Amino acid sequence: MITDYAGISPKGDLLLLQKLGERLSGKSFLHINSTRLGGGVAEILQRMVPILAELGIEARWDIIEGDQRFFDITKKIHNALQGDQVQISAEMWDYHAEINKKNAERLNLEADAVLIHDPQPAPLIEFRTGGKWIWRCHIDLSNPAKDVAHFLKGYCEKYDAAIFSVAKFVMPMTINQFIILPSIDPLSEKNREVTKEEIEETAERLHIPADRTILLQVSRFDLFKDPVGVIQAYRMVKKYNDCILILAGSPATDDPEGEAVLAAVREFAADDPDIYILMLPANSDREINVLQRMATVILQKSLKEGFGLTVAEGMWKGKPVIGGAAGGIPMQIVDGLNGFLVHSVEGAAFRVRQLLNNPEMSREMGQRAKDHVRTNFLITRQIRDYLAVWYSLEQGGRTVLELWQR
Amino acid sequence: MMEKTIGSFEFKQCVIVPKSTGQSAANLRQLRTLLTSVSDESIFHHTYQYFLSGHVLEYTNAFAHWVAESLGEKALSEHLSNIDPYSFPNIEAFRHELLKAIDLRLEALPEPRDAMVGEEFFFSEALTLIFPLHVRARNLAEFLIAIRYIDKSSIYYHFYEARMRLGGGTDDFSKWFSNSVGQESLGERLNAIDPFMHTLEGIRNHIVEAVEDEVRRAMEEITS
Repeated sequence: MITDYAGISPKGDLLLLQKLGERLSGKSFLHINSTRLGGGVAEILQRMVPILAELGIEARWDIIEGDQRFFDITKKIHNALQGDQVQISAEMWDYHAEINKKNAERLNLEADAVLIHDPQPAPLIEFRTGGKWIWRCHIDLSNPAKDVAHFLKGYCEKYDAAIFSVAKFVMPMTINQFIILPSIDPLSEKNREVTKEEIEETAERLHIPADRTILLQVSRFDLFKDPVGVIQAYRMVKKYNDCILILAGSPATDDPEGEAVLAAVREFAADDPDIYILMLPANSDREINVLQRMATVILQKSLKEGFGLTVAEGMWKGKPVIGGAAGGIPMQIVDGLNGFLVHSVEGAAFRVRQLLNNPEMSREMGQRAKDHVRTNFLITRQIRDYLAVWYSLEQGGRTVLELWQR
Repeated sequence: MMEKTIGSFEFKQCVIVPKSTGQSAANLRQLRTLLTSVSDESIFHHTYQYFLSGHVLEYTNAFAHWVAESLGEKALSEHLSNIDPYSFPNIEAFRHELLKAIDLRLEALPEPRDAMVGEEFFFSEALTLIFPLHVRARNLAEFLIAIRYIDKSSIYYHFYEARMRLGGGTDDFSKWFSNSVGQESLGERLNAIDPFMHTLEGIRNHIVEAVEDEVRRAMEEITS
């Protein structure tokens, strides 16, 4: 499997993975998050666990289980951490802790390293039995509701280290905090090369016209992704350039607000036959892949974003992406070089028109976008970084590690 | 000529994982205050290791980048960019020079504006991993092929990082050419390339050109 990445991922990443794998071989590495379906975290874990296993690491992935009330609370916590003014009562925190306690009784938490993803399972640290515990935060904590962040910090500071996607997301804490960019898997169903026949078949099945100029946004139906703003931008573009707009998303089991947002988006789109709102089933990876390859311009007009891996996915298809300057999007798009960063509906509309009217510029930006993803945003680099942090903790926190032949 | 080799050159690479210090500056005064107290490792990361980021803009360190892009302080950015980290005997002296440049700006009016929320300067250090790439060169020709295709972070390790590791303003490539291959003039030519004036790809091109010249000259030599 690792050899499958040769010629795709940078060689140095693959060599370092092997070397770290040699040193951590036989040890156990447990990942815990809150959903197996939907969202970038679940997608990357699906691919990461078998790669870790191939390196000789006993890798496991478990999820915490909870009822509707639990996920309503964790969604509120999530939104509060991303800046929404939401109150989390003591009773809600108690319920959050109680469900985590029940999960701790059910799960086997014994491992040499435990990576806890996001706030939902953060209280599991209270039930640690050994090993190195690392909290991995995938969300934008740059302007959180302070009391919510403060409460969460109580759990986080009990970990050995924390990992954030971007420096500005880091919470001031007394533990070691690393910055690790998230990633996409170039060999996954969502990112692999597809055939012409696959494109034609998928387009026909989804009733997407292959001969039209396509603007595309792939994301959950979430207010922070600004789907209404995307429709507004499309309407501005449409006055000058013929095009269709596709908004494609999948349901996530830990996002109870999705349906309400979807209904609002449908209402705003009204009866425009050139707006395609696709609620795709979970694991519609091939469909997403094909849509990104069919698109002329890809948008990710997020107002708040954890990282926005759909940006890297679009860039990997050699497409220029127009992204909202939020969360981790500016880490992916170098404005004007491999895509555009925008701050408004008008900005998005202007950049779409610019790309539609300059196909050569669009092609060059797309090529640079793909190169940028290869160096910085492939899964092999992310696993490399996770193992590096774990190995550093195993080495007593040393920050310069030389890995010569063994 | 090209067979005169002693020890092979083993290409290594270094990668870094940024490590947050938890400290950030929202304006120039805060940057100045923190610059006096952050670790040498943090200064190293934002300046020497800035070259590893494969920067595409005109700045030579992260401080210059930030004051221009987030504070709109173009003149100070130019001043900071013009400070060559490799011209100082240690990080403390380099830090002092950075502070002098900032103080000069802070003495003038108007007061620089604050950065937008989210565009603060976030001080980091780095977890650094160094490993061999399993690529060896035993002579000039092999070196020439390797240097064309080697990952640019290997060039960083051997050409930039080496200056701090070896001291004396030299690098791994020049040292190998001078000491192991007996190519002192080539070593001197590489050593004369100013690392501060180029991107990693620019350095690669200069090295390729210099080695190619030497290979071409060697191929023309008539030996009995």
